[in-house]
Amino acid sequence: MFAEFKHTMRRLRGQMIGWGIGLALYGLLMVSMFDSVAGIEGLEEMMASYPPEIMAFVGDVVEISTPKGYFNIYYSSYMTVIVGIFAVGVSAGLLVGDEEKGILDLVMAHPVSRTALFTGRLLAFVAATAVILLAGWLSWVLPSGGSGMDLTWIQFLRPFLPLFAQLLLFGTLALLLSMILPSVRIANMITGGLLIGNFLVIGLANTNETLQAVVEYTPLHYYQGGSAISGLDWGWLAGLLAVSVVLALVSWQRFQRRDIRVGGEGGWRLPSLSLRRPPSARDRQGA
Amino acid sequence: MSNDAALMIRGLRKSYGKVRALRGLDLEVRRGEIFGFLGPNGAGKTTTIRCLLDLIRPDGGTVRVLGIDPQADPVAVRARTGYLPGELSLDSTLKVRGQLRYLNALRGNKTDWSYVRRLAERIELDLRLPIRNLSKGNKQKVAVVQALMSRPELLLMDEPTSGLDPLIQQEVYHLLAEARADGATVFFSSHIIGEVEALAERVAIIREGVIVEEAEPSRLVSMALRRARVRFREAVDVAALTRVEGITLLSESDGQTAHLQVEGEMDGLIKALAAFPVTDFETERPSLEEIFLAFYASSDMEDN
Repeated sequence: MFAEFKHTMRRLRGQMIGWGIGLALYGLLMVSMFDSVAGIEGLEEMMASYPPEIMAFVGDVVEISTPKGYFNIYYSSYMTVIVGIFAVGVSAGLLVGDEEKGILDLVMAHPVSRTALFTGRLLAFVAATAVILLAGWLSWVLPSGGSGMDLTWIQFLRPFLPLFAQLLLFGTLALLLSMILPSVRIANMITGGLLIGNFLVIGLANTNETLQAVVEYTPLHYYQGGSAISGLDWGWLAGLLAVSVVLALVSWQRFQRRDIRVGGEGGWRLPSLSLRRPPSARDRQGA
Repeated sequence: MSNDAALMIRGLRKSYGKVRALRGLDLEVRRGEIFGFLGPNGAGKTTTIRCLLDLIRPDGGTVRVLGIDPQADPVAVRARTGYLPGELSLDSTLKVRGQLRYLNALRGNKTDWSYVRRLAERIELDLRLPIRNLSKGNKQKVAVVQALMSRPELLLMDEPTSGLDPLIQQEVYHLLAEARADGATVFFSSHIIGEVEALAERVAIIREGVIVEEAEPSRLVSMALRRARVRFREAVDVAALTRVEGITLLSESDGQTAHLQVEGEMDGLIKALAAFPVTDFETERPSLEEIFLAFYASSDMEDN
């Protein structure tokens, strides 16, 4: 399992570096701009005058001048979608990606169990996601002392935990769909669509009461975002992690039973509709 | 099942949707032998080999690899087996050395690395090359090294010399013979009759998911059709040759050159030619396809 973990981490190092640097640079930029943004007079009033359909996606604008509100509006409110691109893309291809490339055939001919292979790669995905979020967290914590962002390191850490849980949930969903659907491409598209769709529905539900009932059944409803700075909802966090574990277990069970393809994408295995007429009694006699 | 069986397969069945790849395949390979597995594309060779490693799950039948059920303990089977896939894909982000080190790590880093270097030298593989720059032949060399490097008890090789030049092919034959001399069992599929003759002690022919024949390679070749071209010093009555059993006249020119088809052994033809003034005699080795055709024709006749 460790060999597979190490190998997958090595393969993900480029993505970890790219996403980590990107997230860190964005965090540093946001921290450096806080004092100027917070100092703009009448900002809350100006933002409050924007159409509610737009403001529905950014959270409570009244708090934009506070570190918590600023962090929420400019960072955590949409980070699930941004870093979700990494999580969904990587986890959908975690095993089936190599199967489509034909690499898994040779790997699995070696003395490594399906459970060890699955666990090693899944843990590498979890670790890579944690490394990227760690870079994001450090980019807020380290320079915050020189700005008006007077939050402690633990306060900064709290909103990253629900973000981490959401990424694991959508990541394991993509992994499961890759085991069920014919290709990584389709699993990617559907999970990505669900993530973005969920984000939009959550935003629209702030202006449309009929959507409120629907969003309660979606993962992002249980995403605290910047509000976690004041305190974590441990119930939500545990719930999200529990769903991720269930999705991972079902994926594992699907992988255990899977016939490993030599390469290429799979098929839908839909029942074929035969257009030929059934053989008549005369045909059967002839045969 | 005999105790010295490296592979024991009974009634193996596997379908992909409506396609029945294996239809009750029976096969036994003794420990320490080199066994050739022949058949045209789609006959079920690769499916059989992949069932042995639990890469795919059969629909029915019994399989034992070195006495172990691969579905019950696939890791134990793979720990003692080296595999060379028919359709090889390697990690293009790695160099050859990195690829081999990764596969070695999956085996618990038990490989003697000096042996890997010796193998690479013998088949002229540069370990420093990036995988993405390798030709098909060089990728096949990587496949050969990774299959052999752990000195496995059993080698399962799907077209082991595909894409290799003749000199390297010969070296691979030597390596396989050495592995056998060290006690390993070699089970390989091939389309090259020369390879089968050079390597295999026994062969099996698979057709549409069942074994249609098991024999020594020389017997398979002798049972197949051959073509012969005979040149005579003067015009002769070549029709006389066709009275020999198993000989068919394909064409003649001026009574001095005859193209013949010979079924079975050459003995009858050679004895018949002793009565003629022969200046030249050439035979054409049958291709594997011709051997298949000969077997298929005979098994079709038996079926009917």
